[in-house]
Amino acid sequence: MATLTLKNIKKVYPNTERTTKKRKKKTDEPVKEKANLQITDEGVVAVQEFSLDIADREFIVLVGPSGCGKSTTLRMVAGLEEISDGELYIGDRLVNDVAPKDRDIAMVFQNYALYPHMSVYDNMAFSLKLQKVPKDEIRQKVEEAARILDITQYLDRKPKALSGGQRQRVAIGRAIVRSPQVLLMDEPLSNLDAKLRNQMRAEIIKLRQKINTTFIYVTHDQTEAMTLGDRIVIMKDGFIQQIGTPQEVFGHPNNLFVAGFIGTPQMNFFNDCQLTLEGGKYAVTVLGTSIPLTDEQQAKLKANNCKPGHVIVGVRPVHMRIDPNGFIGKIEVSEMMGSELHLHLSVGDSDIVAIIPTVGLNLSDYAIGKTIGFSFSPDLMHLFDPETTNNLI
Amino acid sequence: MTTAKASAELVSRSRGSKAFRRLRENSPFLVMLFPAVVIVFLFNYLPIYGVLIAFHKDFVPGDSILNPVGGWVGLQNFKNFFEDVQFWPLMRNTFLLCIIGFVVGFPLPIIVSLMLNATRGRRTAKILQTIFNGPHFISLVVLIGMLNIFFGHYGLVNNIKESLGGERTQYFLQESAFRPMYILSSNWQDFGWSAIIYIAALSNVDPGQHEAAILDGASRFQRVIHVDLPAIMPMVSLMLIMSIGGLMGVGYEKAFLMQTDGNLGVSELISTYVYRKGILNDTNQSYATAIGLFNSIINVVLLIIANTTSKKFSNNSLW
Ligand SMILES: Nc1ncnc2c1ncn2[C@@H]1O[C@H](COP(=O)(O)OP(=O)(O)O)[C@@H](O)[C@H]1O
Ligand SMILES: [Mg+2]
Repeated sequence: MATLTLKNIKKVYPNTERTTKKRKKKTDEPVKEKANLQITDEGVVAVQEFSLDIADREFIVLVGPSGCGKSTTLRMVAGLEEISDGELYIGDRLVNDVAPKDRDIAMVFQNYALYPHMSVYDNMAFSLKLQKVPKDEIRQKVEEAARILDITQYLDRKPKALSGGQRQRVAIGRAIVRSPQVLLMDEPLSNLDAKLRNQMRAEIIKLRQKINTTFIYVTHDQTEAMTLGDRIVIMKDGFIQQIGTPQEVFGHPNNLFVAGFIGTPQMNFFNDCQLTLEGGKYAVTVLGTSIPLTDEQQAKLKANNCKPGHVIVGVRPVHMRIDPNGFIGKIEVSEMMGSELHLHLSVGDSDIVAIIPTVGLNLSDYAIGKTIGFSFSPDLMHLFDPETTNNLI
Repeated sequence: MTTAKASAELVSRSRGSKAFRRLRENSPFLVMLFPAVVIVFLFNYLPIYGVLIAFHKDFVPGDSILNPVGGWVGLQNFKNFFEDVQFWPLMRNTFLLCIIGFVVGFPLPIIVSLMLNATRGRRTAKILQTIFNGPHFISLVVLIGMLNIFFGHYGLVNNIKESLGGERTQYFLQESAFRPMYILSSNWQDFGWSAIIYIAALSNVDPGQHEAAILDGASRFQRVIHVDLPAIMPMVSLMLIMSIGGLMGVGYEKAFLMQTDGNLGVSELISTYVYRKGILNDTNQSYATAIGLFNSIINVVLLIIANTTSKKFSNNSLW
C-alpha cells in the first residue's frame, strides 16, 4: 500500500523502422491504431501529459480503446519501459530510475506469463526464493495466497494442467505473495470467456477487501472499469480524457469521447441542435423543438459565457422515456432483454436507442416499423461544443 | 438388441471412415513424403543386407553376397577382431576422442546460444551469430590445411614460439597434440552452427516471462537460468540422446587427414582402421565389415540406453 504520484508523464517510442515492424507483428492490433498518436521527430508519443495522484489502497482503472497508451503507462509504472519525461513517485520516493525489482510492485500479465516448467507453488514462491526468504515463511505465504484465491488444491500442478481461469488466479497469486505496495494488472481478464470474466471480476472485487494494496488496473472494457474502479482514468490517443469516479464519468462526461465510451448502449447524440439565448435565458432546439434548460444548466452556461450556436446534445438511452407528446421515432429494431426493451429508433437522420422498462408494457405497441413518441427530461441532457467536443454544462 | 447392434455398426463404420478421412486429408503430405521414404529405403535400408559380408570368410569385390565363394565363417571375423592386438587401442582411442569431444562440445553451443540470446542489442546478436556460423562452411580439407598453417612446423604458432625464444614443435607428430587439435578445431567449426537449434528454441520464449521474472526480482543471470534454460531443456535432452547415440560413430575422414606416423598411436580409430583394412591396403573386406558392424551395434545400444534413461527422468525421448 502506497500512494502513487504521476507528474506529467510522457512516453516516446523512438522511431525505428525495426521496432515498429516487430511490434506490429507481435500484437496483431489494427495497424491504423497509431494514426491518431502524435508523431514527432523523436518518435511516436504513446503517452503524454499524464498526471495523476493515486491514494493509498485506491483502485485505479485505466480504460480506453486499444492503442491509447494504457499498457505503456502501466509498464512505465512497473519499470518495464523507460519514462521519457515526467516524474513518478511511489510513496515519497522518486522511482524514475529505480529498477523494477526495487519498486515494490507486482504485475499480472494479460497472457499470465507463468513459468511453464514450475509448479503452481514454485511459480508463486519464485520471487520470495530470489529474495532468500526462509523456507517455512515462503510456504506460509504461498499457502495463504493460495487460500485467498482458492487454488490450494492445484499447488502441485504445472500451469499447463490448469484452465484459463485457474491460471489467472495463479498469476494473481504470484503477484500478491510478496505483498507488493502496488499491484498492476494489464487486461487480466481479457483472455477469459464472458462467464468466467464476470466471475473473476467479482473475485477481484473480493480480493481487494482481503489485501492491502494500491491497484492499477488496465482494461479496454468500460464495464470492467465501471464495476472495479474507485476512480477511472479514461484515455485516448495518449492523452487523459477524464479522471473521476464511475458515477462522475457516467453522470458528467468531460467530452464527447468519454460520453460515447462510457455506458452501454452508447449515449445518443443529436448532432444538429441550436443553442439559443433569449432574454438572458438559454434554450436548446432539438429536432425543431425548443427545450428550456434548468437553472443549474443556465448558470453553468453563463459562467462559461457560452455563445449561442451549433451544439451536440447527448442523452443516455436509459434516460429516454415514452411520451406520446414528444418526438416521433420509427422503430427499426426492438430488442427484448427481459426486464427492459431496447428500441432502436430513427428520428430525422439520427439513429438513437431508448431503453424502457417492460413492466406493464404492451409489447405489440413496440413492434418493428411502428412509430412511437419519446422525450427526455432536460436535466439529464448533455451539451457538447462541436468544435472542442467539450461538455458545456 | 437391434439398437446396440446398430450403434456398434455405426461405431465401426465411423472408425473406418475416420481412418480413411485422415488418410485423405493428409494425402498431399503423404505424397510429398514418398520420395524421401523411397530414398531412405534405397540407400539406407536396402544396403543393410551388405552386413552379411561380415560373416563371409573373405569377400572380394564381384563376389556374390548371398552365395560367397569363400563360404560362411559365422562370427569368426568378430572373434578375430576381439583378439586383434589393435582391439583395445582402437576402442580406447575412439572412446577417448569421442567422450572428450562430447564433454567439451555439447555444452558449448548451449552456453553460446544463451549468451547470444541475453545480448542486449538484437543487431549485435545477429552479427555475432553470423560470424559464429562462418567456420561451419569451411571444408574439412581446407580446415586441415588451416591447422597446418597454424600448427605446422613452419606455422604461425611455431613462428611466434621461436620469436619468443622457444623451440619449434612438431605438433602433427606429437601424440599429445592430436586430441586437442582435433577437438578444438571441430568445436571452433561447429559451435555456432550447433547453437542455431537452441537459438530457435529460445526465440519462442514469451518475452512476458522475462518481464514477469524481472518484476519477481530476477537478475539477468537468474533469468537465463530460470526462464531461458528450462525453455530449451527439451531440445537439450533431445540433442543429448542423439549425440550419445552417435558417440562412438566418429567418421574416419578428419582423423585420417590428421594422421601421421608420429600420432598413429592415438589417431588410429575404429573407423580409420576399417578404412585401412577394407579399402586401402592389406585388404580384408569381411573383417573390416565386421568391425564396422560392431561399431554400429555399440552406437545402437548407446542410443537405446540414452533414450530409455531420458524417458525415465525427463519425459523427453526420441521414440
Ligand atoms: N515498443 C514499442 N515501440 C513502438 N511503439 C509502441 C511500442 N509499444 C507500444 N507502441 C505503440 O504505442 C501505442 C500505445 O500502446 P499500448 O500502451 O500498448 O496501448 P494499449 O492502450 O492498447 O495498451 C500504440 O500505438 C502502440 O503501437
Ligand atoms: Mg494493452
